[in-house]
Amino acid sequence: MNERQNSPSCERAPDLIAFLYGEADERETRDFQLHLQQCSACREEAASFGVVRESIAEYRDEALAGFVSTPVAQPKTKSALAALRQFFDLSPLWLKGATALAAVTFCVVVGLVLFRDNSNHVTSTNVNPNAVYTEQDVNRIVKEALANQQKPQPSQPENEPQIVAVKYPKPKPKSQRPLSKAEREQLAAELRLLPSNDDTTFQSLEDRINQ
Amino acid sequence: METLATDEIIVERALTGDAEAFGELVRRWERRIFALTYGMLGREEDARDATQETFLAAFRSLRNFRGEAKVSSWLHRIAVNQCISRQRRVKVRSESALEDEQETNAGSFAMPVSYSPAHVVEGRQQTAAVRRAINSLPVELRQVVVMKEFEELTFREIADVLDLPLSTVKSRLYTALKQLQMRLQKFESRN
Repeated sequence: MNERQNSPSCERAPDLIAFLYGEADERETRDFQLHLQQCSACREEAASFGVVRESIAEYRDEALAGFVSTPVAQPKTKSALAALRQFFDLSPLWLKGATALAAVTFCVVVGLVLFRDNSNHVTSTNVNPNAVYTEQDVNRIVKEALANQQKPQPSQPENEPQIVAVKYPKPKPKSQRPLSKAEREQLAAELRLLPSNDDTTFQSLEDRINQ
Repeated sequence: METLATDEIIVERALTGDAEAFGELVRRWERRIFALTYGMLGREEDARDATQETFLAAFRSLRNFRGEAKVSSWLHRIAVNQCISRQRRVKVRSESALEDEQETNAGSFAMPVSYSPAHVVEGRQQTAAVRRAINSLPVELRQVVVMKEFEELTFREIADVLDLPLSTVKSRLYTALKQLQMRLQKFESRN
């Protein structure tokens, strides 16, 4: 495309463009209409540019007909608070009241349970760390504790499952008393053993072997 | 009667953390930015990507928006830059590829039932010719003609977006129309 082909045929090309696109004011429009009557180049260009614009408009309309607005990303998950708020907004009055009552009851029950646990904990740990115990006191406390342990336990109710202790036979205690000499000899005889200190018997036995 | 917030107010809301505000801006300008990118790139898929990239870039640089220019000018400038950088990245598609794509996409355009098959074929050929003609324009001419014909921006708005004198916008538009006229005449003489 050479420059001469692109160069305006008339020096009023900018006015032609403003006139063509309707951006000339009233006075400029009137003035250019008068010019068009005298300038054949501008008349031809105005007509041909009009055709070009129609073709572009057809292309544009077809191109933009397929345009579908893309949805703008929205947060998919609601916060728990927002969901709760929406629930209360949508629910009837009686349901709101029932929910509130249930919530209050739940809170009271939980509070009571926590208070009870707390008081038990305090009782069991009610020990004065600054108390001084003598040996006699300690012995007395131990005796009392042992006595409490030996007390018969209250029988369990029938409904509750009973824990059955499995009794294993106790191993027989080894005798702590040493064997007497007679017993040792008897045991050695039963086992056909000879007493280690009997030299004469050894000698006689050796003689017999040598023979 | 509810008055529409200006673009500048919407941007201010977005800057103060209003998550919905930027979405409103997107909905307001999406179609026009798409028209611009379609006109500049000539392919629906590329135009959609460029439109998306435009709004992403706008969102990223939202804090840098000083309010010296109009929001619309700012968005258009981003879109034009997106198209230019995209065209630099992507290889120029061959004429045959464009024609093939035109064949496959033609069915998605809504055509009046009264059109005869000959009219439809002729229309498709004419549309393809216009597209080829626009795509073959130099970028500086194409962006002016697209902003004017696809978006119907005023000369002043185009001058603001492209940071050009008003006279340059008019002369570029004149040159663009002249070149399009000659290209379309060639097409008609061939058929």
